[in-house]
Amino acid sequence: MGRKVRSPRLKFANIQVLYLFLAPALLLTLIFGYLPMFSNIIAFMDYKITNPMFGLASPFVGFKWFSFLKEGWFYEIAGRTVLYSFMTLLFGFPASLILALLFNELRNQVFKKVVQTISYVPNFVSWVTTAGLVYLFLSVDSTGLVNNIAQSVFHLPRQSFMQNPNAFLPILIVTNLWKNVGWGTILYMAALSTIDEQIYEAAEVDGAGRWAKLVHITLPGLIPTFCILLIFALGGLFSVNFDQVFNLQNSVIRQDVMTINLYTYYNGIVNGNYPISTAVGLFQGVVSFILIYSVNKVTRRLADTGIF
Amino acid sequence: MKNFHQSYQNQIKRSVGERVFDGFNIIFMILMSVVMLYPFWYILIYSFNKGEDAARGGIWFWPRAFTTANYAYVLSYPDLHTAALVTVARCLAGPLLSVAICLMAAFALSKRFLPGRRAIIFFLMGPMFIGGTVVSNYIVIAKMHLLNNFLVYILPGAFGYFTAVIMRSFIDGLPNDLQDSAMLDGAGYWTVFWRIIVPLTKPCIAAFLFFSVVSNWLDLQANLLYVTKRSLYTLQYIMYMVISSTEANNIINVNSTNAGAIITQLNQSHSIPTPQVVQMAIMVVVTFPILLVYPFFQKYFVKGMLTGAVKE
Repeated sequence: MGRKVRSPRLKFANIQVLYLFLAPALLLTLIFGYLPMFSNIIAFMDYKITNPMFGLASPFVGFKWFSFLKEGWFYEIAGRTVLYSFMTLLFGFPASLILALLFNELRNQVFKKVVQTISYVPNFVSWVTTAGLVYLFLSVDSTGLVNNIAQSVFHLPRQSFMQNPNAFLPILIVTNLWKNVGWGTILYMAALSTIDEQIYEAAEVDGAGRWAKLVHITLPGLIPTFCILLIFALGGLFSVNFDQVFNLQNSVIRQDVMTINLYTYYNGIVNGNYPISTAVGLFQGVVSFILIYSVNKVTRRLADTGIF
Repeated sequence: MKNFHQSYQNQIKRSVGERVFDGFNIIFMILMSVVMLYPFWYILIYSFNKGEDAARGGIWFWPRAFTTANYAYVLSYPDLHTAALVTVARCLAGPLLSVAICLMAAFALSKRFLPGRRAIIFFLMGPMFIGGTVVSNYIVIAKMHLLNNFLVYILPGAFGYFTAVIMRSFIDGLPNDLQDSAMLDGAGYWTVFWRIIVPLTKPCIAAFLFFSVVSNWLDLQANLLYVTKRSLYTLQYIMYMVISSTEANNIINVNSTNAGAIITQLNQSHSIPTPQVVQMAIMVVVTFPILLVYPFFQKYFVKGMLTGAVKE
């Protein structure tokens, strides 16, 4: 018997090997996924990292640390978080769609390829570099391009943008556009390439112009992609891009541009106030989950597309 | 032929309005390209200019007082060397480990007869919905003795559920016969994985490797949150310190004698750089390697983005 009759039975016999294939993934998920998830429990404790059991034997205090929900400062930073992410979304989201449509209208394929490639470039630099560029171009002294133009063309006084909290939101919007608008077109371009060429030809025969084709064929073809991207984007409405905000802020304006992600970093990691920062972070996570879940439900009903 | 005919027709049909639109579209695209690329050109020319001269402003297209002294200072900064080593090491080890772990998991999950498969998928998916917070992640990393440990750059992100799902759908798309006949010939799962799955998923592997290399190169957070030991700093963190603190002064002071010697050897007039040109030189050193290789691998990036989206 043995060696020759391998197929179904022996296939089943050494199936355990497959669990070994999964072992590293399971282990990593347990350690870096579930342990942090359960460690969120310190939001309900008088946590001291020196207590026994990794500090998890600290006494429970219920919702003591969630008292931030009754305090004004929290709503200030929460409101600012939503404002910042909503505004960057408002400008950044349609921009990629429009840019994709403009790419699509280019006739010279080589030119199209080149400008597409160029538009992806800023996606390959870090927010540290981006912040460095922003500091450079907004500099107060004579090397700052923006101040030079403002002064010579519009006769405005030179100002220090990076120390002005009111300039922070515009800077977020512009840097987000610069860095992500090109990369954001990729999925739209893919969706565009799946639209059947014959539909366009049929429309032309019926006398449709460029605009009519855009409105009646191209845009409807992009709606599913648009919806899926919107679900992801709206799910992130209650948090800002930490790397972006962290690198563009500085100690002068920090208090005036404080957002939830910055708060949990500075108060939690830098100052070591673990339980309250965990409570704030946990609240943020729950709200984000509810957001993504409900947006998914709505789009599923409206456009029959969802992510789960 | 058909295409030629079509474009010929299109050209006849184009009205004045369309031509104006096309013209503006091309102008817009050129402007956009300038906006996307000029900042990089600017830091490049700036970094090759003498410090005091650059501070006067007005350098926009070409270095005015050319020097390589800024780079002599920056490149003889010892922390930059260790940071480059650490960064290159994590850009090699991280992606390889990550792709291996994800592909192995994807292979196992592609076997629909695997008992407990659904439960495993739920387990792997769970943390995507409610994961850790910054603080609880930090505590776990600390308790695992990963603070100030090189492994913190590699392990926490090594398994990605999305990556595994995309790889699994890629494997699902491969013909089953190959695997079946190999197993009939007595090959085990391990052999099938190495001899069949790995060779056939090469395009997919390449795309994820490049993605992972880039995100490892650009990552600041792992260093910012978990590493305080200088010898484990990454290039991004060095650049962060140089841009947002007075670290640039240290580079100038520490290296004055060192770089001064090199410059005298090069027979250049010795000019001590300003913090600003040092920042520019560091930005060039850290940013340009990726920018220079990116155009050659662009198709893999785009393909990688798309395997995920189209296969849904």
